[in-house]
Amino acid sequence: MAPPSGYALRAEAVTRDFGPVRALDALSLEVPKGIVFGFLGPNGAGKTTAIRVFLGLIEPTSGRAEVLGLDTRRDGGAIRVRCGALLEHPGLYERLSAQDNLDFYGRAWHVPKGTRADRIRELLTRFGLWDRRDDPVGNWSRGMKQKLAVARAVLHRPDLVFLDEPTSGLDPVATAGLREDLATLAAQEGVTVFLTTHNLNEAERLCGQVGVISRGRLLAVGSPDELRARQDSGRVNITVRGLTSDVVALLRSMPGVTAVTVDEGHLSLALPSGASVAPIVALLVQHDVAVEEVRRARATLEDAFLELMGAERSTNGGGL
Amino acid sequence: MVWKEWREFRDQLLSLRRGGLSALILALILGVVAPVQLGPEWVESKLIIAYWPFLAATMVSSLIADSVAGERERHTLETLLASRLADSAILLGKIIAAVLYGLGFAVANLVIGLVAVNVAHGNGGLILFGARQLIATVAFTILASLLMAGIGVFISLRASTVKQAQQAFGIAIIVLTLGPLLLFNALEYETRNRVIARLSGLGEVRIYAYVTAALTIASIIVIGGALARFKRGKLVLD
Repeated sequence: MAPPSGYALRAEAVTRDFGPVRALDALSLEVPKGIVFGFLGPNGAGKTTAIRVFLGLIEPTSGRAEVLGLDTRRDGGAIRVRCGALLEHPGLYERLSAQDNLDFYGRAWHVPKGTRADRIRELLTRFGLWDRRDDPVGNWSRGMKQKLAVARAVLHRPDLVFLDEPTSGLDPVATAGLREDLATLAAQEGVTVFLTTHNLNEAERLCGQVGVISRGRLLAVGSPDELRARQDSGRVNITVRGLTSDVVALLRSMPGVTAVTVDEGHLSLALPSGASVAPIVALLVQHDVAVEEVRRARATLEDAFLELMGAERSTNGGGL
Repeated sequence: MVWKEWREFRDQLLSLRRGGLSALILALILGVVAPVQLGPEWVESKLIIAYWPFLAATMVSSLIADSVAGERERHTLETLLASRLADSAILLGKIIAAVLYGLGFAVANLVIGLVAVNVAHGNGGLILFGARQLIATVAFTILASLLMAGIGVFISLRASTVKQAQQAFGIAIIVLTLGPLLLFNALEYETRNRVIARLSGLGEVRIYAYVTAALTIASIIVIGGALARFKRGKLVLD
């Protein structure tokens, strides 16, 4: 049984080598229970290797990892009992129907017969696949297969589910649909989700916390807001009416204002990170400029990610 | 595991593709045409005892090369390994499913053949196997299927594609079947005669016992080897 800790997953200096290649380099990570955790990184960053280690499929070369309080080296079987996974490929039996695919894994996870049938119906209905339940899945679109694979991963109500790039290769419509389904699923089932992706928009929308990995090393971890905050540019956009060149000159002369640009009633100012906007708004109002909207320009998760990748590349002196 | 394998066999047979149609044609020829042509000899011949084990093993061989290599090629292996199923449950499930398939085909063929031979040559009486011959037939059929499944899984574990597994398996079958014959033929004429005389002197029961022991030991070795080789950590990286 898991100790009463608040973590679904903990890794302490986990390193995994494949011959001369270091796939994971002293990875230390804590994933709280009940959240959607996004593991972000470019191709070959070590995301899939990390999942394999956490599922007890491969052993770390050094370091240790605990999943649901269980040691991944010693208790791989017990970990897999309580986890679900959608790995690199959907892993569906294409000659079998959707219902048979789920039935097989339900049996494998010892889901009782009566509960199994209800659960399969519930999941196939939720993902909009119930009407196609008897079709061999080989004839299905990739989006439908991914949905079925997600359904399979949560069929036995796991405590933790690993989703390895679940929207990879899907068109934008299918991606948005699956993302919505994942968000609903995580909220309704209360399951901890460990999601690897290089779709930053997806991570920003779904994840409570994200970790950024590159070349097997964890570069940053925190909430999307925290990561974005690191990239806070201090830029402020103000929509105004009645702006004159005199006022613009006054703004440029204000202490801390490093740049001012004007474009058809849209004023953009560069301020030091965290600087207050109040003196600027006060100056505008004082000179009879109508202020319609004040908005801090927020860095996106993509900005933060690219910054981290750039920093890592310059540190290591190589391309990604 | 056995349930899933059977579902896949069933869907393959129902679609009458690949092995399905050929299995049906084979069942018809071997189950009806051969017994009717051979008549009572189909039941009474001492050599016929090797027929059902051979038939079952052939049916097993048509499936088993696909067992692990097919999962790997179709990208279903890693998901299977990430499930709660134990290594032995996965491997033995595949072996048992294939053995049941081969055994089922052989038994169906035997029953159909008996009906056919009795209808065509019964002349009011019943043409049946002797009890000893029937027991030996069933035992050899099970053991030959097990041995073939064990060899097939072992080869399939090591192959990266189904095609590679089938090629290796084909070579293994040729070596195993023709090898002993070639070795026997390589013996001097007098030595061969001595061996034949020795075997003839053993008696039917003792020969059955030796064959059973040999098949059992070989099956245990091969299946044990496959179980030892089936390691999640290795398979997931292959």
